[in-house]
Amino acid sequence: MALALKETFSEKTNKALGVNSEDAKLTLTYLSLAFIILFLGGTLGLLQGLNRAGLLELPSWLNYYQVLTAHGILLVVVFTTLFMVGYFYSGVSHTLGGLLPKVRKIAWTALGSMLFGVALVAATVFMGEASVMYTFYPPMQASPWFYIGLVFVVLGVWLAAFGVFISAANWKKRNRGQHLPMFSFFAVGGFLLLFLGSLGVTAEVLMLIPWAFGWTETVNVMLSRTLFWAFGHTAVNVWYLVAVSAWYVAVPKIIGGRTFSDTLARVVVILSVILNVPGGFHHQIIDPAIGEGIKFMHVFMSLSISLPSLLTAFAMFAIFERAGRKKGAKGLLGWIKKLPWGDVRFLAPMIAMITFIPAGAGGIAQTNNQLNQVVHNSLWIVGHFHLTVGVTVALTFFGITYWLIPYLSKRELTPKLNKLGVIQTLMWTVGMYLMAGAMHWVGLLGSPRRTSFSTYGDHATALGWSPYLFSLAIGGTLLFLAVVLMVYIAFHLMFKAPKGNTEFPIAEPEDDAAPTPQWTERWGLWIVIAFAIISMGYVIPVVDMIVNAPPGSPPFRTW
Amino acid sequence: MKQAIYGLVLYVFLMLPPVASLAESIMTVHMHMQMPLFVIAGMLMAPYLKQRFPGFFSKWNHNGVPGILLFFIIMVYWMLPRAMDEALAYQSVEIFKFISLPFLAGVPLRDSWNKLGSIGQNVILVSFSIISGLMAWLYIFSPTQLCNNYLKVEQITLGWAFLFLGLSIIIYFVQQFFVDQSQYE
Repeated sequence: MALALKETFSEKTNKALGVNSEDAKLTLTYLSLAFIILFLGGTLGLLQGLNRAGLLELPSWLNYYQVLTAHGILLVVVFTTLFMVGYFYSGVSHTLGGLLPKVRKIAWTALGSMLFGVALVAATVFMGEASVMYTFYPPMQASPWFYIGLVFVVLGVWLAAFGVFISAANWKKRNRGQHLPMFSFFAVGGFLLLFLGSLGVTAEVLMLIPWAFGWTETVNVMLSRTLFWAFGHTAVNVWYLVAVSAWYVAVPKIIGGRTFSDTLARVVVILSVILNVPGGFHHQIIDPAIGEGIKFMHVFMSLSISLPSLLTAFAMFAIFERAGRKKGAKGLLGWIKKLPWGDVRFLAPMIAMITFIPAGAGGIAQTNNQLNQVVHNSLWIVGHFHLTVGVTVALTFFGITYWLIPYLSKRELTPKLNKLGVIQTLMWTVGMYLMAGAMHWVGLLGSPRRTSFSTYGDHATALGWSPYLFSLAIGGTLLFLAVVLMVYIAFHLMFKAPKGNTEFPIAEPEDDAAPTPQWTERWGLWIVIAFAIISMGYVIPVVDMIVNAPPGSPPFRTW
Repeated sequence: MKQAIYGLVLYVFLMLPPVASLAESIMTVHMHMQMPLFVIAGMLMAPYLKQRFPGFFSKWNHNGVPGILLFFIIMVYWMLPRAMDEALAYQSVEIFKFISLPFLAGVPLRDSWNKLGSIGQNVILVSFSIISGLMAWLYIFSPTQLCNNYLKVEQITLGWAFLFLGLSIIIYFVQQFFVDQSQYE
């Protein structure tokens, strides 16, 4: 009874006051910056795609590798992080009853730190001082200010993470015995994973800074690469977890269904946090200096990450089928027709989910030593992460935008804008499939990644790549148009759409849902297990890399 | 029952010759992955055994101390460098390892843990973190090779693994004092 009263009370306040205007301002700032970054990164992507196909000559002051570095960092790190922080903070504010004033301050400070860092990074890249790609592998050496910029980005991420942890702990104290609302559970899990993953890269960057200033002469290349991938792999899985949160929390509500299982969703979060960080090793299958036995064991550690993904796939189909049958669907597959395909808030994340089937399968293939040899460092890999991050994550983010921005700006998604959104989604999908499909195929034919356009002295094999590279360029052009459309839609929803009331979609459990067990809330234990598993994965190879280290490498500037 | 089957499957899997020889080929994996997994297999089988032989457990381990003592002795025994060497050299010691870790360490641990109460649990956590610290110190700084079967670099690696294990236990132990679960539950 008390619970019911409380709920109606909070519902009433939400209805009367809507979103807290200061919290809305915070998220809208993050999202605006995210979409500006998307536009910049997308423009660079277009330039690079056309240049890679041999269709466009870049000016002498801007070369392919600068564009590639900036495109990678802006889209895979900055756009995603800004969106993640904005989106999670709005959800934490919504589900936990507004942000605490100190948390809001933390979030603004985090934004300042990130922007300062990004400014340093972007400046060094455009000055031609840091064409080191987004993986910044040593012994390629960028300007020290590039690495210092990265430190500020990571600091910002940590601040944002602790803001969410503080909010969650505070809410738990005020609501004893209750489960943290699912959305906030995802936020805590996502930020925890990002925090754990960034520990490695922080250590790496702190070694690179003195080396870049010339205070130390050499750097341990293998160690740096390993520490980088502890972060790099985890980061993409964090973005994926952010997307998954919307699938579990918002999508069921949008299609008029219920959540499948609260416990299952929480288990997916916990498993993602525990299992993810050692997965970074499958990016180093071809690296020397790691023993075969270790690589073999890491296949298991990598593949274990597909378990939560498969759980998610199962839960999603169950949600869709139940929702469809509730609407009177008949037969084995009749529920597919009952899904709201015309609603962009569903269509975009749905295409994202469907894309994760081939994208995830490709990922599993690449994790295997022998298959990896075929595609390593080819454009196949680039195609792969354009499907995972470029479709699964990005399209889900776009899908979120259609309800999150109007909810925050107290406006409405009009049918006309919805239609524009559907067009945008289809354009993005077609563009990405053309581009990523071509990348996959031409990668199998041997075209390398991270290499500017060359016909290799008109070699027949290299000339054979041209049709695929054209398809890549066409896809890239469509994608750029889709980016422009998306940025227009985002800002239209922010400032121009008609005033109205948009709800924050939070799915409810089934009426006969089993209660969620208390052990899902034992974060102390999950952190310790994650820490132990990270140690299991990294202690052996890292000690080997340090104890048996070669003298190290002096810096190289390849550009 | 389901748990017992999972435990049995894990147990058999770990004993398969290729799995066992791969796990034992790397010192750290031998001690920090294979051995704990045997203990976990035993823990998974414990409820079934308790259900099957309720009298035995209540008679011999009613306050949890004998069980945890047995667990402690077995664990400390398997931390001796010589024990690991012997497991590789003698079939009989290898079989003893396969039996002792699940049934003399895993089963009594699960049976005793809740019977011990928070003070007993904390004593165990602190003891194990101290032992891990000592082992870390021994393996990292030992001037000589301790195991005939493993190189010195593997020994150092194992030392660092012990350090992280100890740290994990300490973090878990300390967070209990800072995070009062009863405030949340």
